[in-house]
Amino acid sequence: MAYVAQRIVFSILSLFVLLFITFLLSHVVAGDPAIVAAGPNAGAAKIALLREQMGLDKPLLTQFAIYCGQILQGDLGTSWFTRQPIASDVLRELPPSLELVFIAMLINLAVSLPLGLLTARYAGSRFDDLVRLGVMAGAGLPVFWIAIILQQIVAGRWQLLPTAGRLGFANREFSGATGFYLFDSLAAGNMNVFLDTLAHLVLPAFALSLLFTAVGVRITRTAMIGEFRKDYVTLARAKGASEPRIMFRHVFANGATPALTVFGMQFGWMLGATVLVEEIFGRPGIGRYAVKAVTQSDIHAVVAVVFVVGVVFLLANLLVDIALYVLSPRKQQRA
Amino acid sequence: MLRLLTLPKTNIERAAVILALIVILVAIIGPFVTPYDPMQISFRSKLLAPSSMHWFGTDGSGRDVLSRLLHGAQLTLSATFFVLIAGVVIGCTIGIFSAFVGGAADNALMRLADIWLGFPPLILALGFASALGASLQAAIWALVFSWWPNYARLSRMVTADILSQKFIASADALGVPLHRKVFRYVIPNAFDVLIVQVTLDISAVMLAISGLSFIGVGAQIPQPEWGAMIADGRSYVANGWWIVLAPGVAIFLTALAFNVIGDMLRRELDPTSRRR
Amino acid sequence: MTHPTLAPEEPLLKVEDATIALRVGGRTMVSGVSFAVNRREVFGVVGESGSGKTLLTRTLFGLQDDARLTAGRVTFEGRTLPLEGYGAAVRGLLGHAIGYVPQDPFSSLNPSMRIGKQITEAIYLAKGWPMGAERTREAAIALMAEVGIPEPALAFDQYPDQFSGGMRQRIVFAIALSQEPKLLVADEPTTALDAITQRRVIEMMLDRSRRHGLAVILISHNLELLRQSVGRIAVLYGGQLLNIVPAADVGTHAAHPYTEALFACIPTREKALADIRSIPGEPVGAGFGTSGCAFASRCAYAEPVCLTAPLPLNAGITSGFSACLLGRGAQ
Repeated sequence: MAYVAQRIVFSILSLFVLLFITFLLSHVVAGDPAIVAAGPNAGAAKIALLREQMGLDKPLLTQFAIYCGQILQGDLGTSWFTRQPIASDVLRELPPSLELVFIAMLINLAVSLPLGLLTARYAGSRFDDLVRLGVMAGAGLPVFWIAIILQQIVAGRWQLLPTAGRLGFANREFSGATGFYLFDSLAAGNMNVFLDTLAHLVLPAFALSLLFTAVGVRITRTAMIGEFRKDYVTLARAKGASEPRIMFRHVFANGATPALTVFGMQFGWMLGATVLVEEIFGRPGIGRYAVKAVTQSDIHAVVAVVFVVGVVFLLANLLVDIALYVLSPRKQQRA
Repeated sequence: MLRLLTLPKTNIERAAVILALIVILVAIIGPFVTPYDPMQISFRSKLLAPSSMHWFGTDGSGRDVLSRLLHGAQLTLSATFFVLIAGVVIGCTIGIFSAFVGGAADNALMRLADIWLGFPPLILALGFASALGASLQAAIWALVFSWWPNYARLSRMVTADILSQKFIASADALGVPLHRKVFRYVIPNAFDVLIVQVTLDISAVMLAISGLSFIGVGAQIPQPEWGAMIADGRSYVANGWWIVLAPGVAIFLTALAFNVIGDMLRRELDPTSRRR
Repeated sequence: MTHPTLAPEEPLLKVEDATIALRVGGRTMVSGVSFAVNRREVFGVVGESGSGKTLLTRTLFGLQDDARLTAGRVTFEGRTLPLEGYGAAVRGLLGHAIGYVPQDPFSSLNPSMRIGKQITEAIYLAKGWPMGAERTREAAIALMAEVGIPEPALAFDQYPDQFSGGMRQRIVFAIALSQEPKLLVADEPTTALDAITQRRVIEMMLDRSRRHGLAVILISHNLELLRQSVGRIAVLYGGQLLNIVPAADVGTHAAHPYTEALFACIPTREKALADIRSIPGEPVGAGFGTSGCAFASRCAYAEPVCLTAPLPLNAGITSGFSACLLGRGAQ
């Protein structure tokens, strides 16, 4: 239990660093928030009034405390473009993005884990060299560029998959309670919408996953290669275990744990990278929301996205850590 | 630099070194050898397909894509190298300082770096860049801001390792001054490790710069930065595929070349990561 | 199960003129090694670190990826294993005919698998499930009791990191025992343990092996330990097998000069402090080749011929022999 407590404390600490960063962004780097809030044509008197209302005449540390209080109450500020509370915007935009990241993560895991395991087993072989070259190529592909290319070729020229959006025209009326269409459509028993949602997810998820998969293969290989050198592999061989048995029954479980920690981190990074694909595929979501906010110079909305992605990142890490701990057979001995 | 030519073991590595040298050369002299003015708008020659006149075609405003690509090499690469150099300088200063001070300050700084390092770098840079106001400079500083902890961690590790070795203790006994210890022992020893890491980071930083430019917080259209060129070409992709293809391939090949070189350098310079 | 009936004098394992080279670069590390292990014999292999003893045994038993047997003849139970595809052939014997106990008990058990599961897996791999899961479990628990695990039924469901090094090595031994092999190969099985545990574990292992009728090859750098626990000792130096000597003859002039020098380094109860001598010079690594004695540069008796003449490496491998070019230690 000490381990879980330690992870939680670390996450709370990280949350404060995150709050400090977003405070820095919205109150210091971006210039005087009162001037931003008052709009371009406000007079000096109005700005002074706003400064007082917003507590900007107080010392920076007090301002930070007030800011933390607001955020922790769920107040992410008001978009000065839409005049809407940012928190409700973000809550609406988050499900489609999480859905996208979830599918991209599945692709990532489905490729990274087996390839990482096999290249670790056959380290130094032609196969390993080939995969490593593929990994380096994948790590050099601009996500947004490959998204455009895939969209043009697979969806545009070959018409294999839909070009853009979340659902086809026929299903445009669909809406669900959670905002996760894959889940909502299943709950409603509507396979048609489920498949349509999935079809719309394939290309963006694939484009989003490429870079992360390249890193994922490398991470898994590194984690597994050390396991293959351990004596328990020798003993398993001496016991007469077959190579597949050694790989899947013995090595995989031991090597996967450190790798899964990195995949947990990738979840948050992927959510951040949705800014590069959602706009291209015309999908609603937090990434597209951020890009729009950037073009409208809506600094508070941008900072809110930074904060929310950061929080999702911390939560994903915490959940993975706790899950690995709970699943770990040796929890009595840990921490 | 000369050593770089003797290290490659495979044809892929040789090709990567040659490609990287070409890209660097283009980044230096590109602007002087471009066939056309990269900013010259000409509606009469817009959306021309690749030909002997315009090898890579022209874009939606009739600008020569090849000329923009050559100028872009300088813009994209100099931005990338600036981020890496500034990141190394800031990160190493903090890292080396942290290792020398030790104790609680060291602990706190490294914890901070750990947390910082974790946050999605792209989104952090996005926030910073848009807070500064969208421009290539903002994007560069934003990336420095989110990249320094990598090098702080790395340099602290190397420094702590060196400080724990015996020859430092004898240097202490001889009264070697601090700055001499840093410049004589720490930096030369950290150099190999850092150069490997920096080379491997080139592609990531370049992708981040062009990504930020693509979504509009970095270089602004019509600047010939490669990411911004892709953003600009998007609206013509149906009848001018070359506008998007050329800068994308340029980013991809450059990133791949530096990844291969980084992998090679790691094999040759970093004894801890040697494969069997 | 049918085994070729063996003539009573036919050894269980016979290795003749084995040469082992690295796969990458092809450097020869061990050359001209010949020895034989009889049924139920406890056979020791001694050598300093770098002498090639681990490389030799791991390669002979198909557990070394980066080296291979390039020449020689290996016969197990009267059947000669092919040189071509040797690794696969010998691995086919692992897990039922030959058992192996690796060096480090702290890493040789799978940390995320229950102890009991690791033993029943071994039983399954050797025999399948002829007796069903429940009986297999009982067999595993009985084996754990036999090797001296306290509360074996409880330990069955525990993980390796809940055991001390000595207990873990007992478990590893139980795994090997569970497959009922003919030959057990133990590579420095007690080096990672403290002296008292070392003695206890070795005694237990040899006692149970004797009881189950196993032949044992015990590899160690500790000559004193071998002298007290095995019948014959093979002495390796610089990738050459210099001596096969009955344990009782170690410390007498019936042994090779190197064996003699090695024994002189060990403090024992019978020896005065002044009689403990270290060997002058630095040990050579494996890969010395077969012309000239690897030990010549450090040997007190060496003569010019020792540096160049081909070694007599093959005589009397089922009893004993000395490769000394001056005929020292030859019976």
